[in-house]
Amino acid sequence: MASLAGTTISIASRPWHSLQAAKEFSSLKSISFSSIRKSFPAIRLQPASSRLQICCAAKSDTLEKVLKIVRKQLAVPEGTAVIAESKFSELGADSLDTVEIVMGLEEAFGISVEEESAQKIITVQDAADLIQELVEAKSC
Amino acid sequence: MRRLLRGDMLPLPSNLVSRHLVVSSLPSLPPAPLPLRREAHLWYIVPNELEDTSLLQDYMELLSPCEKENVLSIKGEALKKCAILSRVLVRTTLSRYTDCKVNPRLFKFRKNRFGKPEVEHQNGCLWVPPSLQFNISHTSSMIACGVTVDVPIGIDIEEKRRKPVNNILSLAHRYFSPYEVQYLASFMDPESRQSEFLRLWTLKEAYVKALGRGFSGAPFRDFTIRFEKSTDSVVPERPKSEEFRIMIDTASDSENLTANWQFALVELSGSHLAAICMEKDENMPGTEQVFLKLKVWKTLPFVEDKCMSQTDAVINISGLC
Repeated sequence: MASLAGTTISIASRPWHSLQAAKEFSSLKSISFSSIRKSFPAIRLQPASSRLQICCAAKSDTLEKVLKIVRKQLAVPEGTAVIAESKFSELGADSLDTVEIVMGLEEAFGISVEEESAQKIITVQDAADLIQELVEAKSC
Repeated sequence: MRRLLRGDMLPLPSNLVSRHLVVSSLPSLPPAPLPLRREAHLWYIVPNELEDTSLLQDYMELLSPCEKENVLSIKGEALKKCAILSRVLVRTTLSRYTDCKVNPRLFKFRKNRFGKPEVEHQNGCLWVPPSLQFNISHTSSMIACGVTVDVPIGIDIEEKRRKPVNNILSLAHRYFSPYEVQYLASFMDPESRQSEFLRLWTLKEAYVKALGRGFSGAPFRDFTIRFEKSTDSVVPERPKSEEFRIMIDTASDSENLTANWQFALVELSGSHLAAICMEKDENMPGTEQVFLKLKVWKTLPFVEDKCMSQTDAVINISGLC
């Protein structure tokens, strides 16, 4: 399914004006030829784009899970958004919150976070990136 | 006339500057005598007691440009307020100990190589301050600043009813030493276990902050805090305490985790636990260093200071004279 979607997207994203230009200088035959040519790169891209999409889905899944754990720990008040770029210090996380979040993440993802790595986490995205790294390392 | 001089026009003779800056809408602070040799001072603010938004604006004027930027980047009014009060508490507290010759706005801070904040002494100042050591801690409902002269200090405060989101024994297994895990496991009643967890947590935090090496420089599981039943006979003039001493054990081969530190644990204001950790004086005989001297003030800077020592607001749990 992902690869089909990839194919469709790559054709649809062809700029409309290039087809227009082709019309001016050539007959109908060349337009159909050029559209066939345009479809080849899309077919070649299929495996890469599906890998890319799965990889992106995993990353955004990780981020969503991380956001959920952080929101639960910090009991952030209504109207305060917790997003990838949010800094833990700006969300009011104290040291006990931080260790609880790290432990929550370790349990949720089945990983182990070193103290040195944990100290480098500034934003929620940093946490998600670290988790992603550790999860990928684990599955190698 | 609110301000004649910008806070970043430094260095300047401090007495001249303080005269001008006092022209701002804030009155002057009362000076405080320095902590004695084995003494720690603790100043605390209760954020909920500040309702005057114009005072909060005045407080903002005491912050450095960098601190102001940091405050503005914080989301949520309550957190912003805490951030402002945290900086105001440090600056005003330190100012008191310079006989108020150094205006709160003038202090510059830097971090040691492990990230612990300290006062940066500036050249060209007429006032030579004593070696003031400080450490801050805050919860959403209280901000505290501990001060000593010369001796490293670390403090940590927590709401005494704070309930961790995670299971306490899981947290202990993950972060604490085996001895501490066993100690906590010995409490069957969840409330007692929670209370003991917070006592250990604040004491361990206070130690790490006193050491100034950061959380990864002094991993919690590499040292043990334990409570040793006091064998001293109860002396009438000592305040009632639970009669145990707070001890620390570190691995003998650990060069970073030193054990020459003393601790105190108090209940503040009926609502908070405060742990204080101070380095022991190598030159003092061991017997004199069992107890720490502590003086406590509640403050709303420029509005009211109340000495809380010897009142119900400061209850010694362990470690105080």
